[in-house]
Amino acid sequence: MGRYVIRRLLWTILVVVVVTFLSYVIFFLMPSGDPATRFAGRQPTPELIAEVRRQLNLDEPWPLQYVYYLKNLIFGDEYGWPGFGYSFNQSVPILPELIERSKVTLSLIAGGAILWLAMGIPVGVISAVKRRSITDRLTMGVALFFVSAPVFWLGLLSLYLFWNKLGWLPGTGYVSFGTSPKDWFLHLLQPWFVLALLFAAIYARLVRGNMVDTLSEDYIRTARAKGLSERRVIYRHALRSSLTPVISLLAVDLGVLVGGTIVTESVFNLQGLGQWVLVGTTDQDLPVTLAVTTLVAIVVSLMSLLGDIVYAYLDPRVRYK
Amino acid sequence: MTRRRRRALALASALALVAGGVVVAGCGGDDNKAAGTTSGGGGATTDGGTATKGGTYRVGVSDLGYSNGFDPSAEYTAVSWQIQRNLMVRTLLGYRFTEGPTGNEPVPDLATEIPTPTNGGKTWTFTLKDNVKFGAPLNRAITSKDIAYSFERLANPKVAAGYAFYYTDIVGFQAFADGKAKTISGITTPNAKTIVFNLTKPLGDFIYRLTMPATGPIPREVGKCFEQSGRYGRYVISSGPYQIEGADKLNPASCATMKPISGFNPVRSLSLVRNPMYDAATDVETTRESNPDRFTWTVNTNSKDIFDKIDAGELEGSQDAIPADVARRYLRDDALKDRVKPRVDDGTRYITMNLTEAPFDDIHVRKAVNLVMDKGGLLRAWGGTTYGEVGTHIIPSSLLPATDEVANYDPYPSPDGAGDLAAAMAEMKLSAYDKDKDGLCDAGPCKGTLLINRNVDPYPKMEPILVESLKKIGITPTVRSLPTGSAYTLIQTVAKKIPIGANPIWGKDYSDASTFAVLFDGRNLAPTNNSNYSLVGITAAKAKEIGASYPAGGVPNVDADIDKCNALPAGDERLECWFAFDKKLMEEVVPWVPYFASKNTDLLGPAVTKWDFDQSAGETAYSKVAVDPSKQK
Repeated sequence: MGRYVIRRLLWTILVVVVVTFLSYVIFFLMPSGDPATRFAGRQPTPELIAEVRRQLNLDEPWPLQYVYYLKNLIFGDEYGWPGFGYSFNQSVPILPELIERSKVTLSLIAGGAILWLAMGIPVGVISAVKRRSITDRLTMGVALFFVSAPVFWLGLLSLYLFWNKLGWLPGTGYVSFGTSPKDWFLHLLQPWFVLALLFAAIYARLVRGNMVDTLSEDYIRTARAKGLSERRVIYRHALRSSLTPVISLLAVDLGVLVGGTIVTESVFNLQGLGQWVLVGTTDQDLPVTLAVTTLVAIVVSLMSLLGDIVYAYLDPRVRYK
Repeated sequence: MTRRRRRALALASALALVAGGVVVAGCGGDDNKAAGTTSGGGGATTDGGTATKGGTYRVGVSDLGYSNGFDPSAEYTAVSWQIQRNLMVRTLLGYRFTEGPTGNEPVPDLATEIPTPTNGGKTWTFTLKDNVKFGAPLNRAITSKDIAYSFERLANPKVAAGYAFYYTDIVGFQAFADGKAKTISGITTPNAKTIVFNLTKPLGDFIYRLTMPATGPIPREVGKCFEQSGRYGRYVISSGPYQIEGADKLNPASCATMKPISGFNPVRSLSLVRNPMYDAATDVETTRESNPDRFTWTVNTNSKDIFDKIDAGELEGSQDAIPADVARRYLRDDALKDRVKPRVDDGTRYITMNLTEAPFDDIHVRKAVNLVMDKGGLLRAWGGTTYGEVGTHIIPSSLLPATDEVANYDPYPSPDGAGDLAAAMAEMKLSAYDKDKDGLCDAGPCKGTLLINRNVDPYPKMEPILVESLKKIGITPTVRSLPTGSAYTLIQTVAKKIPIGANPIWGKDYSDASTFAVLFDGRNLAPTNNSNYSLVGITAAKAKEIGASYPAGGVPNVDADIDKCNALPAGDERLECWFAFDKKLMEEVVPWVPYFASKNTDLLGPAVTKWDFDQSAGETAYSKVAVDPSKQK
């Protein structure tokens, strides 16, 4: 197991190198304009552009710049460790901003994940147990609706209804937990639900499918034949094995969402990582884009590893060597 | 030049972020000064109004990054100039922060008066007013050396000042920039109250150049620590009525002790509070009313939400462009329409034609394009008169003489700006590219002519109008729509030989037509980052040097006309000179199709009790606004 974990951690480093390298390739080989010209005014002289390029560290050949990036990442820079540099466009050091924004995104993902698990798993189980009933068809129909509904649409609808019309919840924005736990909770309630509804629908359908398969297994029939209660059969025997694929999926989803809540964060004006990577990409702000992609690559790899380990723990048939 | 981005990664995020456009450099001016007080729905406001003191004026903005970190030395956006000049950065000369021609006239700000130049117009001596002081944490008198230092920053290449080129005619400016001198020899400070500028030649618009925020005083003891592009923005020491919140906590003992002022984080918010060292008695001419106790600008990535919050009374305004559907909804409601403030902002949206590329190397083709273009249709694609007025000439009328002749000048007229096909075809018949003289461009270059456009809203809506208009005279363009940055890069790279582009806009930097004339100065031509897209004034030698074509018939040159006007002092003669220049451009050079004169349109929240338009910046005059806190949510 130990050797497996070490091997996976080494793979994580390779993934980070490949992802950041590809980001560099995309930035330099498919440019949509020179970022230096944005800071050099309307009639920039070649000298001025060269000076701005030098200050943005864009004056070296890009492979060399990439080496510097890795060096700073490993050994740190003037703004701390790991070294992520300075934003071209926003004139702030990346590292403290990355930390601040991670708090926002983690708040969003954590609350959303709790909600979607709390909604998705029970709905999936009930739907599987009452297969082909009205409840099953109704819940799966609702699930299909939320899987299909664009997040931005749900977000705008929610804001219109609960903030604009009913006034039950505050509008957009983020209040830190330290400032006011109550406002933190109230401001995140809508984004949590909007994010959770999509995933709850996906997880409900996944759990239902797994449960339906599991309930037709021989060992379930045996359990019932032994006289175990239906509740015990479902929750003790069927649910456990039905949830193991959910663990793997959850781990990957949580990792991907670290940089993947772009729409939710944009609609609800949450200054998180997803919103930041969108701005970084549209502004050609390479340090911002690299910082978020690096973080996401690390988190996805580690969460995937964590998911595999938990999977092995839950399913004795799986063992890593 | 326009402000910023907007390339949706996905349809969803694009819709969520709709209309997040932000206006960049360029200012405004018309003479329709509104007055009086009206009230709209929900206690809305209008021009004039009641100046109640106190409260917080809250602004939503999709991006506070601006162009260079809010550093006055380097910022090149009208929205940052608007904040700095109205509230934080006083300059030797300023403006009245009001609408119309009055708002475009320089007046003394830190200086006691606008002096008369000596030495044949080459020497300008300014005296500072008494009792003008920096805000926290310095709380000391502003001296002439603080202004001289701001010019050293302008010349310092490391600061990357965007418009340093306006000051290269100061004696010794370039030598300092090149590292050949330790001071700018043309700027002397005989005492703490006096500053003298010596120029290499008379500059009629020098007083306008001294209104730019980069020329405001910067204390060397703070500025010297931040002599890199955009770094001073989080440490700006106020010379105006407001300062960054938390400035009093800045420790200027050394560079190491200075941490960013807490009230400004470019990714989140800017908060300004009153500067206790500001003495309003020193600020009579510019009449900063400074009504609210506090101003806040908060980043909101959902531009639609910004306008919902204004609607709900949670914000007073935005620096983002108002979405067309929101503007329409307000303008159709008599109770609400007064809260929408469209004002001509002295920007010109235009189609640029390359004078060295066929078929636009023929003036008759260029004139025919001007005659046939459905400018009214292009304006409607933008959302109608909320966003501009049909353009008739290049230099905004507010920068020219205030005469009927200017107001009515339209060398290519047509009803509602819809285009005059008969006149266009008649013009095309005169062209060598109309071989059979049927009024249609029929030579090879007329087919598949590359036309550059932007791919962000509303530019794609312009595309069918552009194509159909050009087809009427036989030009069948191949449109290439690109992100804003890429589109600019393409037309700025001379060797790409782009025949025609519909993506640019130009606005004034200061209230003089010379800031438009620079676009046609053949001496400014460069192989890349070239802003003379039409290549007016290019010579055969220059064309070879920068990779352009050079037509057999040559290219018109207006350098002498520019020099002639620039040498005149501010006044009627100078204005007339620029009008003659504008007419020459429109009738003898024809580099552009100016399709509309742009407007800045603000939406106000219900708590705003007083509002005015800062014509010099082409934006809301923050120095004149007021709020009623009881109406805020």
